[in-house]
Amino acid sequence: MRKPIHITAPWPTREEMEKRFPISKASEKALQALVDEFKAQLSHREEEPVNSIEPEKRRKRASAA
Amino acid sequence: MPPPPDPVAVFLNVPYDKEFSSLYVAYIVGLFQLGLVPHLASEIPGGDRRLDRIIQLIQSCRYSIHDLSRVELSAAPSAAPRFNMPLELGMTITWQILNPDQHTWFVWESEPYRIERSASDLNGTDPNIHSGTAEGVLRELRNAFPRDKMPSVPDMLGVYRFINNQLDAILLRNGTSNPFDRSVFMELCRLSNYLADILRPKKPAGK
Repeated sequence: MRKPIHITAPWPTREEMEKRFPISKASEKALQALVDEFKAQLSHREEEPVNSIEPEKRRKRASAA
Repeated sequence: MPPPPDPVAVFLNVPYDKEFSSLYVAYIVGLFQLGLVPHLASEIPGGDRRLDRIIQLIQSCRYSIHDLSRVELSAAPSAAPRFNMPLELGMTITWQILNPDQHTWFVWESEPYRIERSASDLNGTDPNIHSGTAEGVLRELRNAFPRDKMPSVPDMLGVYRFINNQLDAILLRNGTSNPFDRSVFMELCRLSNYLADILRPKKPAGK
């Protein structure tokens, strides 16, 4: 493995990426729906305390991850 | 002399085959999670000769990843060795030797020590070994390009799984079965950046 490169450049902004990777309006809309779905999954996961999940389910989730 | 390279741009030299598509998605997702931007030869519209486009792309990227994990013979009936990846690696090495401050290249493999047999001239260059898994790609990306406040591998894997599960729908929407198609690559990049942005640590308010 090469010596790691410590990245210090600023994070790319959403606007820069929209310019660099142009897509159609229809695709834009479809991706926005996916972003909303991802956010919903994320907030659902955050709301669910780890201890509330039964041990068996937790094991299954861990092995699927 | 070309302009200075984009400091977050990474040229991805990977095999364009369907069996590689999940690792290809992992590269795209992982690079965005680390604040880097992947580039593929297929993203540049036609016109110039393909080789000229690839050279320009290498020159415009500060880094490159050359995945030599699938340089074996292509599928029958017209089995032929896959020379594109080593060819592009050779071009990159030449560019880097002539411009040492402009470019850094990495070689990636799925198996340790295989590169010593397949490309012995690279002896002394330790490849990043991804073991042929998406998790391995994400782990090695973090090892190669560490940065402050980078996400954990499980967080990166969560985003990867979500996006990889959408690949069929993205292919369908773009009327292709080729995940390396320009329009598919564009959508994968946009979606990866959106989701990376959601998980990225935000500056505390007022700072």
